Amino acid sequence: MIEPEQTDLTLGFIPLTDSAPLIVAKELGFFSQWGLNVSLQKQNSWATLRDKLHAGLLDATQMLAPMPIASTLGLGCPKVKVITPLVLSLNGNAITLSEKLHQEILQENNIAHVTLPLAAYLLQKVISVRKMQNRPKLKFATVFPYSCHYYQVRDWLASANISEEDLDIVVVPPVNMVAFLQSGEIDGCCVGGPWNAKAVRAGIGLTALTSFDIWQDSPEKVLGLLASFQQANPNTVLALTAALKQACIWLENIPNRFEAARLLSSDQYLDASVDVIAPSLIGSCLTHISLPPRAIPSYNQFSKSNNGSINVPEYIRGEWLISQMAKAGQLKNIDVPADIVREVFRPDIYQQMRLKLEDQAVQFFRRSG
Amino acid sequence: MVWKESLQHTALSTKQINATPELRILLIDENRQRAESLTSALNNSRYKISHLANPDMSLLKQVDQIQPDIIVIDIESPSRDMLESLGTISHYNPKPVVMFSGEGDTDTINQYIESGVSAYVVGDLQTERVKPILDAAVARFREFQKLKEELSDTKQQLVSRNLIDQAKRLLMKKKNLSEDDAFKAMRNTAMNTGQKLDDVAKTLISLLNTI
Repeated sequence: MIEPEQTDLTLGFIPLTDSAPLIVAKELGFFSQWGLNVSLQKQNSWATLRDKLHAGLLDATQMLAPMPIASTLGLGCPKVKVITPLVLSLNGNAITLSEKLHQEILQENNIAHVTLPLAAYLLQKVISVRKMQNRPKLKFATVFPYSCHYYQVRDWLASANISEEDLDIVVVPPVNMVAFLQSGEIDGCCVGGPWNAKAVRAGIGLTALTSFDIWQDSPEKVLGLLASFQQANPNTVLALTAALKQACIWLENIPNRFEAARLLSSDQYLDASVDVIAPSLIGSCLTHISLPPRAIPSYNQFSKSNNGSINVPEYIRGEWLISQMAKAGQLKNIDVPADIVREVFRPDIYQQMRLKLEDQAVQFFRRSG
Repeated sequence: MVWKESLQHTALSTKQINATPELRILLIDENRQRAESLTSALNNSRYKISHLANPDMSLLKQVDQIQPDIIVIDIESPSRDMLESLGTISHYNPKPVVMFSGEGDTDTINQYIESGVSAYVVGDLQTERVKPILDAAVARFREFQKLKEELSDTKQQLVSRNLIDQAKRLLMKKKNLSEDDAFKAMRNTAMNTGQKLDDVAKTLISLLNTI
């Protein structure tokens, strides 16, 4: 077993469907099995979550995959070295359009219904007609400047040669997305669960495609912590990573996911109904109030036994994220050290943790044998 | 700690600030009572408060319409991410942001926010402290803007000097001129054509490199 240097930990999370590994590890006692006493602190914004991690008010936290890189480079904040030893989830986002934009797409393209996943070129007509009539540009929302959501929207639009000049992209906190779609303040958004399902159930929007339709199996949320915290508490980090990996493994099993949805729905976590949390967890993408759901088996992916590497913070994943940041113009005039990915992505810690997990499994078999 | 320092700074610049016209404040706070008492505390001051109790619906519109000089927000508000992005992916001018926090840990967190840059955290907002807090925010933000401008000027000067050096070396190499003559040739061209020296350098570099 591991003897953690620090046993009491405060972890941050944002109430989203893919915070499941943290909540499952807490509720199923995985943290305590590894000698940790964890308190989960709900956060309302990524910026404040990041500042609290930097200030040591949070010991570790769920983060958007590009955030540890942004912190280390000092993008939007002072430079603070943040590392990730574990990928918590893949995919999980979707693009939902307001009902008004949905109708506009049908009308301008002269079609009776859309096929899903929606091709971005169907927006071209809407954009040009709006321009001709001097109406405001389309407005799309994402959740944070350094988020896969932002890069995914850009990539989807780019697939139809639509550039950021043709529409406005703004940041809106997930909790406000549905209200904004309804009020017409935004025409579409890229957000994680349960917000897409909420918009569909309320008859407010059309979920046009999931992030899995844009990028296949890229890291979405990661565990982030300060490099200095890991240096001072290497065993605590191994124990923490092991407990969360166990939770990810538990979440691979589909029947368990419905149980996870029930855990997540409580007030202290997502404070939302199982109706909107469960679908994406069990691989169902709600699309529209009058249309059947689509099967997206990898909608939320936490672990894959036939591909053991999805939780490994591999360098290639980090390089991909950096290339996305560069493409979005976020690295202009920024000094990017050549070894940035090796500094931030730490498969070495993951491998140490894996050995500990194997030891534990062997001991378990010995005891039960 | 950061906070005390900034107060001293402000003492110097208060006079200067008082001479400036009215400043528009966008206050994002769900607590209506607190908002009311802050508004009345700032009566007869140069601050004019627009209060947004439910920022969820119209923060972006408000920022557009009011064009606030300062934004005051609860650090726990979900709308922080929206503010954060104003300068990053949207093309708004940076605004000073004052965040208040009910927790007693503002000193720790302040060291890790771009303190003095565009945002910083104060303790719970109390009516008697609000005016000096806003004064300090304005002063700090202006100071930072000035520094930023100076920095970009310095950077520009460095770029120019590099260009001129490079052009001079090319002239020396390709036209067999002495360093002095190369510089004089460039200076004369600049004077005769009414161009800036670094523009002449730029043209020379592209010309000499293609020949």
